[in-house]
Amino acid sequence: MQMTRRALSGLALTLPGFSPSALAQVDATRAMAFIQTTGNAMVEALNSTTLNLTQRRDEVATILRQAVDMEGTGRFILGRWWRVASPAERQEYLRLFEETLVRNLAGRFGEFQGVRFALGRSQRRTEDDVLVTTIVERPGAAAFNLDWRVAEINGQPRIVDLVAEGTSLRLTQRSEYSSVVQRGGNQVSALLAAMRGQLQQMQARQ
Amino acid sequence: MRFGPLLAAALIVVGLAGCATRPPASDPEALAEFEANNDPLEPWNRGMYAVNDVVDTVLLRPAAVAYRTLVPPPVRDGVRNALGNLRAPTILMNDLLQGEMDRAGRTGARFLINSTLGLGGLVDVAEWQFGIAGHGEDFGQTLAVWGVGEGPFPFLPLLGPSNPRDLLGFGVDAVASPWFWFGQGEIVEILRLVRAGMTVLDTREGVLDVLDQVNATSLDPYSTLRSAYRQRRAAEIRHTGPVAPEAAGGTGFGVGLGVPVPAPGSVAPPQPQR
Repeated sequence: MQMTRRALSGLALTLPGFSPSALAQVDATRAMAFIQTTGNAMVEALNSTTLNLTQRRDEVATILRQAVDMEGTGRFILGRWWRVASPAERQEYLRLFEETLVRNLAGRFGEFQGVRFALGRSQRRTEDDVLVTTIVERPGAAAFNLDWRVAEINGQPRIVDLVAEGTSLRLTQRSEYSSVVQRGGNQVSALLAAMRGQLQQMQARQ
Repeated sequence: MRFGPLLAAALIVVGLAGCATRPPASDPEALAEFEANNDPLEPWNRGMYAVNDVVDTVLLRPAAVAYRTLVPPPVRDGVRNALGNLRAPTILMNDLLQGEMDRAGRTGARFLINSTLGLGGLVDVAEWQFGIAGHGEDFGQTLAVWGVGEGPFPFLPLLGPSNPRDLLGFGVDAVASPWFWFGQGEIVEILRLVRAGMTVLDTREGVLDVLDQVNATSLDPYSTLRSAYRQRRAAEIRHTGPVAPEAAGGTGFGVGLGVPVPAPGSVAPPQPQR
């Protein structure tokens, strides 16, 4: 995996027309500042006394849409099935992916009233991203570690993964989605149908 | 409790009957995914997952909900503390076997303080008054530190996601615990049963919100649990990320699923002081 990535980055540099900006390394300080800003905005929305639950969720959703690299993360999660998917399927997948992710996270974070967060001390660098660690505290509940993987996408720092208690969201979700595709006869359409159904359920509940 | 490892071995043997088809070498990406999933027994595992789901729906989950509803948080805290304290000799043994002297010292100190000042482990005085936070540890992790691989993934009814290495560790921990050898007679047997029952209840209550969340949001809870469990376990072995509660056994749902959504006011597992 690492080897392949390295080989691919090397290849990319030698290929004319391949955008180097997508592969640019993100600066650790910049990544931390980005998470600090994004986190502050989310905390402010979540702890707002003037907004109701729905409004808080909407606010968090807006922040997430801006801060997360939706296309890159979505493609990573679809993994090897991205190439199998037709252009129309890709388009619908990305739409469903963004909608599901935002609703899921906003729904989960939306209940975090009185939340505080602090940047952790350790920042781990990998080849093309930085893992910014934060500690999330809520009244009456155990503090937990939430790590944000930040990469530089077209010159801007963007979130590409969330790691909660050692578990990467994008890895878990890739496994889940691939399973659905395989069990649906290796058809991406099976995943899209399942995602559509899930989104409808979420809309009905919220 | 004592027959757990035997039962597990028997289940694994039976499981060999339900093997997944390995993708051909002509499809390297499918093959890579197959190997990364580490789940050659997937058809059998999914069967066991379905069995577990039924048992969980009719028995375990309602019991955990009732436990949370009827028993006030301080009492549940006390139960979790006591269960953790009973595991302290096991944790200490594994700290030592991993050469983690600093962690071993903390575990030993916690056991002494909590068993006495903490009223037999009910109150975590060691953390509360002395700031010595606890951590979980088990022989499965020790084997991992010694370089033993996890082996193929199994999903076991009642126990949850696991692997052969951790199951072996689970058995070794059970036999190596002083409570396995200490005492005899009816009362001791009843106490052992109570401990086993409370461990199941405490564990299930601890993952109540997490499992509800997974079941509500995942399109395929089985593969979500498989992936999350293995990542969580790897992080625990590396001693990175958060610390498992002491009361957690060496495998299954107890070690946590890496999706923290504890309800407000629920029992908080000890956090690392770093």
